[in-house]
Amino acid sequence: MDDQDIVARLERFLRARLPGERSLRVVDLERSTEGFSQETFSFDVETATRRRRFVLKREPLAGLLEPYDLEPEFRVLHALSSDPLPSPPTPWLERDPDVLGRSFYVMERLPGEVPIPVAGPDGTGPFDDAERASLAPEVVGALARLHSIDWSEAGFDFLGDPGPGRGAAARELQRWEARIAASGLAVDPPLAEALAWLRAHVPATDEITLVHGDYRLGNFLVTRRAGSAQLTGVLDWEMVHLGDPLEDVAWCISPLWRGGTPFASGLLDPDEFVARWAAATGRTPDPARLHFYGVLAIVKMAAIMLTGLRAFRDGRTRDLRMAIFDHQLPYLYLLLGMLRGWIGGL
Amino acid sequence: MQLAIETLLDGVMRTLRDAVLPAVQERFARGQLFAVLDVLHNLRDRVEPKAELDEAEASSAHAALARALDALGSAGDPVATALAEVPAAPPAARAAALRAVMGSAFAVLEGLPEDVAVPARRVLAEYLAAQAMRDVAMLKPSLLEEISKGHSKG
Repeated sequence: MDDQDIVARLERFLRARLPGERSLRVVDLERSTEGFSQETFSFDVETATRRRRFVLKREPLAGLLEPYDLEPEFRVLHALSSDPLPSPPTPWLERDPDVLGRSFYVMERLPGEVPIPVAGPDGTGPFDDAERASLAPEVVGALARLHSIDWSEAGFDFLGDPGPGRGAAARELQRWEARIAASGLAVDPPLAEALAWLRAHVPATDEITLVHGDYRLGNFLVTRRAGSAQLTGVLDWEMVHLGDPLEDVAWCISPLWRGGTPFASGLLDPDEFVARWAAATGRTPDPARLHFYGVLAIVKMAAIMLTGLRAFRDGRTRDLRMAIFDHQLPYLYLLLGMLRGWIGGL
Repeated sequence: MQLAIETLLDGVMRTLRDAVLPAVQERFARGQLFAVLDVLHNLRDRVEPKAELDEAEASSAHAALARALDALGSAGDPVATALAEVPAAPPAARAAALRAVMGSAFAVLEGLPEDVAVPARRVLAEYLAAQAMRDVAMLKPSLLEEISKGHSKG
């Protein structure tokens, strides 16, 4: 299906959903990302009176989070469309493969860009001090807002309440162990050591909230103006679920997302991030739980990489970024060693 | 490493042919790209992994497991049984089998009282650190930033 075909199909789809806009045209279709996870297209809809900007997410043929089901994240984003949380308003989901080949949903395009989550050639991070000072409170505040949503009231029970106790942590560990097993690839000793430790240290909590699952540098939409930066959107809700809010905190402060800086997601000292989140939510972050989710964060990343490697090995993707995971895994294991204490450094 | 060299080269050729070539219009560049494909195609069956890397890993892993078993005594019997079944060769198969035994050893250790497990855990931790350093020492500087620029989102 080429881009011209996609435009024609999209115009038919949108005319049925925007009555009174029979003359609409889809213009400036651009394929933003291909193959890494969901396929992403941006496009504008032009009518006689206005122009609206949209993003379309389509289920990929192969990806890092397969198997894919767009419905949970669509239902969450759709329900949050009027929430003060900066998530993209998301009006439509389409499951019929006759429309665009595979399931997809459409959301409004928010202003801003996603800073590249790696260090620049001179070793600098994605934000300068002034940008960090303005952006960090917004990122912490949005996470606190996300964790304060009454998920039952919002109708998110369909995500599955893990219940009080060890359910939340146990379910996440099982989820990622299952992904590792599904990759069919060998479990390297550093990963095996971490999994054995995690199984023996599953923490209990009675705090169950909505969990974004991928809240970190690289999924923040940001605008920069006159020496400051503002958060305009939180993207990529593919891993949304109900669970322990410390899972999001640990993921966001993980050494995975420092972007060449010592800062959590390139923004704040990790301890300060946790303290500010605690102040904003009124919750007390238990260090043992936070550490469990810190180790799990690296295991999650390893599982994602193994899934990508398997897709590459099977020839289901032509994206060579999946192959380079093979030589990123040793760096991941170094991080694991630092967190687990078999290598000094963190 | 999880990918065999042939698998990696097959994937590189697939990407060059299916994703890169259609976007390259300049005649000389297209000719060079076809030459790269030709070289890789003929290289594919002439390369093999360095056996000494697997030998170094296997030797280190076996020594660590043996020391851990000494520290564990009879508590380490299931690991000892698995270790005895590790093939002596070829090096890649031996290293892979020892990695699997190492994994089972960590699972066994988590089920043991701390005073029994700690000395063995310390020995295996030394091995993990040494092997992690050996693996990282083999890697070349990453081009991650340049790679990321080719895939924007938002």
